[in-house]
Amino acid sequence: MHEFLNYVVLGLTRGSMYALIALGYTLVYGVLQLINFAHSEVFMSGAFGSYLVVNAVTHDGAHPAWYGVIGILVLGLGSGAAVGAAVAYGLERVAYRPLRRRGAPKLAFLISAIGASFFLSQLAGKLFNRLNNNDFPTYFNVNHHVVAVAGVTVSLVQAIIIVSALVMMLFLDTMVNRTKLGSSIRAVAEDAPTAALMGIDIDKTIARTFIIGGALAGAAGFLFGTAYFFSNTMGFIPGVKAFAAAVLGGIGNIRGAMLGGMLLGLIEVLLPTFPWWHATGLIGIQWTDVVAFLILVLILVLRPTGLLGEKLGRAA
Amino acid sequence: MSTYTDVTKGGGQSRRSDAAEARIALAKRFAGCMFLAFVLALMIGTQEGTQDDFGYAFRKSVFAPRIGIFALIGVAVFLAVTFWPRIVPYLSRAGVRPLAAGALTVVVSFTLLNWTDSTDLNNGKFGGLRPAAAQTGGIDPVARLFFGSAFSLTPWLLLLIVVALVAAAIRFEDSSTLGYVGGGLAIVFGIWAQYAQSAVRSFLDYPDHSTGAGVALLGFVTIGVSGIVVARSHGKADSGGFFQRVYDWRPGMPLVALGAVVGLVGLFSAAWFSPTDRNAGIGLTSTMFHGTGLSGFSAAYLAWLAYVLFFATLILAGAASYLRHHLLGWVAAGLGVVSLLVTLYVMHDFSGLAAQSKFDGATGAWDNLGTGGWMLCGALTVLAGAGYLVARHEQVEVPDAAPGVSSDAALAAGSKLGPALLVVIIASALFFPPTATQFWQTVLVTEIGIYVLLAIGLNVVVGWAGLLDLGFIAFYAIGSYTTAYLTGRLPVKPPSFLELTPLAAIPFAIVICLVAGVLLGAPTLRLRGDYLAIVTLGFGEIIRVVANNSTPVTNGSRGAFNIPPPEIHIGPLDIKWGDNVLGYWYLLLVFVVIVVLLFNRLEHSRLGRAWAAIREDEVAAQATGINTVRVKLLAFAIGASTSGVAGVYFASQIGSFTPENFILNNSILVVAYVVFGGMGSLPGAMAGAAVLTWLPEFLRDQVPAEDRQMWIGAVILLMMIFRPAGLIPARRRRAELGGLDKKDSSETTAVPAGEGM
Repeated sequence: MHEFLNYVVLGLTRGSMYALIALGYTLVYGVLQLINFAHSEVFMSGAFGSYLVVNAVTHDGAHPAWYGVIGILVLGLGSGAAVGAAVAYGLERVAYRPLRRRGAPKLAFLISAIGASFFLSQLAGKLFNRLNNNDFPTYFNVNHHVVAVAGVTVSLVQAIIIVSALVMMLFLDTMVNRTKLGSSIRAVAEDAPTAALMGIDIDKTIARTFIIGGALAGAAGFLFGTAYFFSNTMGFIPGVKAFAAAVLGGIGNIRGAMLGGMLLGLIEVLLPTFPWWHATGLIGIQWTDVVAFLILVLILVLRPTGLLGEKLGRAA
Repeated sequence: MSTYTDVTKGGGQSRRSDAAEARIALAKRFAGCMFLAFVLALMIGTQEGTQDDFGYAFRKSVFAPRIGIFALIGVAVFLAVTFWPRIVPYLSRAGVRPLAAGALTVVVSFTLLNWTDSTDLNNGKFGGLRPAAAQTGGIDPVARLFFGSAFSLTPWLLLLIVVALVAAAIRFEDSSTLGYVGGGLAIVFGIWAQYAQSAVRSFLDYPDHSTGAGVALLGFVTIGVSGIVVARSHGKADSGGFFQRVYDWRPGMPLVALGAVVGLVGLFSAAWFSPTDRNAGIGLTSTMFHGTGLSGFSAAYLAWLAYVLFFATLILAGAASYLRHHLLGWVAAGLGVVSLLVTLYVMHDFSGLAAQSKFDGATGAWDNLGTGGWMLCGALTVLAGAGYLVARHEQVEVPDAAPGVSSDAALAAGSKLGPALLVVIIASALFFPPTATQFWQTVLVTEIGIYVLLAIGLNVVVGWAGLLDLGFIAFYAIGSYTTAYLTGRLPVKPPSFLELTPLAAIPFAIVICLVAGVLLGAPTLRLRGDYLAIVTLGFGEIIRVVANNSTPVTNGSRGAFNIPPPEIHIGPLDIKWGDNVLGYWYLLLVFVVIVVLLFNRLEHSRLGRAWAAIREDEVAAQATGINTVRVKLLAFAIGASTSGVAGVYFASQIGSFTPENFILNNSILVVAYVVFGGMGSLPGAMAGAAVLTWLPEFLRDQVPAEDRQMWIGAVILLMMIFRPAGLIPARRRRAELGGLDKKDSSETTAVPAGEGM
């Protein structure tokens, strides 16, 4: 049982990062009905940006007091979010707005995003490096167990990821549902021309949506870098998974993305470690992706608009 | 600037004055241009920081004097964009466009292209060759003069002179002499460039496949043409396009001119027989094979018949074009085809003879041939095509279009150039690959050709039916594995009566891919757009992972190997493909032609129109009685089976493959090719795939290898920003989108038009 619970914690850790990235996909989808394929590079640039900042203030093996750790965390999350937001805004200006002005076909957006994605990831590789195992400075003991009850352990880094992801998601949910910015985003998602008639500047709202999604992904980049590694191609696989998570929850639906991300993380970790399969050797770890995708397909066939339905406007 | 006030700021914002708005817009534009310059500085910068010092490359690229150059570029872009409306009227003057195109072509030739195969001189580019050639005493002085023994930068100076002359002719409209002088000089310079390069080639004495001099010639000739256009037009606006005008004047004439240039270069400048140590032109080849037992006919051909045949065809085709004489056209076409066959026979004859005597490692006929023969073949094809076009051309009086229908007329006129272009494409598809280097032949066969086939298949799914398929490569994998299974190269063996050669596996691959397409499509096609995308993406990954992990069936990550090359034994026909890459090219060409012919019929069929209807509005399509699920399934299955055929070809050509050949990235790339080329347009999809697979190999010589993907990303991005409908937009779609240049108000375009994605 405690093994199972440990896996649940692991799944939630992964899931919360997927959820943070998935929110960016879902927000943009909500207002533009587009898959922002370059979102994974926003995540990547958040990791690089926060590394530059964090590495400037701390170094390997520095073990500051708890408030120091929190300070660095806030700094890392903040800088990651700032860089992510900046890159996402740049993406909107360069890869999306000109196409919107020209009334381009929908797939053209997808391809320009793919081009931007290649470009950003390779530019980061050229500027910084192309190693695939850069590490953040270990300024605190990531494997320190904060919770250890009856064999169930939660390490510090897991706690940090889950807690900060939850805080950010709560913040986002409140912002979208309670603030004027949120209502303008929902209005554009619901019906852009009408929203324009109601006095909403659509371009600004779209840009802000990109900025919010980019900030979340950038912060997720910092968390991912702290927990695992970072590199110029780190975005691709989490990006695809987060996209799947957003679809699973109902793309365009903010709470759906959160749920989808968490579920996907749990499925991924729990499936191959499921006790009786594990015992009989029916499903090895290499089948994780296959089973996860099969479940996704099944859910979509049964509920074609995802678990929670798809409209951003209706999520409120 | 937006007229809507911003809700989040509470409304009461006062509007700025127009002058202030204009200033802000200008400042924003300037900032954008400087940012562009900054990014460019990073792109053309130092490689990679280190783990200790991440900022190394950044500092090297930005905090250095070189940033000043990029800042200047930024300012130049800013000025160009700002004053664009004032520049435009000049651009529509007669001759400006060909002048710009020609100058650009020459610059590309001088900077990017190879002028020699020798890799010692800066990869054989002009910049490396020029000083070396200028100082080498063994080269003909006239050629050395071109490379710059008088002035250090002679070739650039020549370009500058002719461009300045023609530009002056454009500026001072009343003088036609300037135009003629500039144009004539340009053509002379072009021939000089070609001559200088051939002098270098004969000095270096080894096989040469460089395109630099040819492209320079083309560029200079274009400049020359623009000069003549300027001189003849006396300031009349040249809006219709020069080639269109020539084509309207005498259809076939541009083809005749092209054929003449290529044929002359092939006959008088290029090598016909080039083993490793020499480049023998047609005359030298004739003497080399004199008295070696070459058949009398071939000897006569090399000695004089080649010239007679070529010039006879040229004169006939030219006369037919000029007189618009149908019968002469037929005669020219017939003579062209006969000469082509004769040329091929002679090439086979003497290269086979050389191979029989084991001359320089030749293993069979067609080895050690130079480029000259192939160029002559290409020229004869073009001339025959010109004759055919003249013969089939019907006199249609185009009435002067009323202002309202001008776009339709322009569209019809644009399509008239099609047949001529088709002739050129056929000629180069048949006879360009043999003149390319081994490297480019391999690229053609293993990259460009296969992806063109895949893009044609995906175009059905994405372009016509409007279904976003991100797992297309899965069917390709299925085709490859089917081939491996049927040729007995997988751990599971087929029953003995099913052991087949690769080509015989094609029907099976088609059927299996059809079934797989239907199996995947049936439950998922009722999903809309993006859900379909993620499901197909998942399917692609599933196929790959299954292939990777079911080792007892698919040999796991080691993949399949030793798949036999294709062979045909039907009646008298007995062809076996071996190590020669070129053979695969022609096989692939047959596949592509068959598929294109089939799909071309399909596009305008009932089914094709049903796809278009579904793509535009699924509900309306259903209401008109289209069985949407069945039609979508058909699109899916047809696309899948094309991919399967490509897979069969891939497996038997490459001989061994692993699941790593079928990664998700490849699926995404194929989608990018289709959209880049122009969604829903068959030539567009092919062009997109060809350009984007050619580009990385071309960039190999231009930028550091690691940076290639970055540049490709930038190219795709720019293409989508400036030409979102693709390289060659589909005609139907072009009609739908109306004017892409049309300025829409921001609210109608705030959200992209919903196309059934």
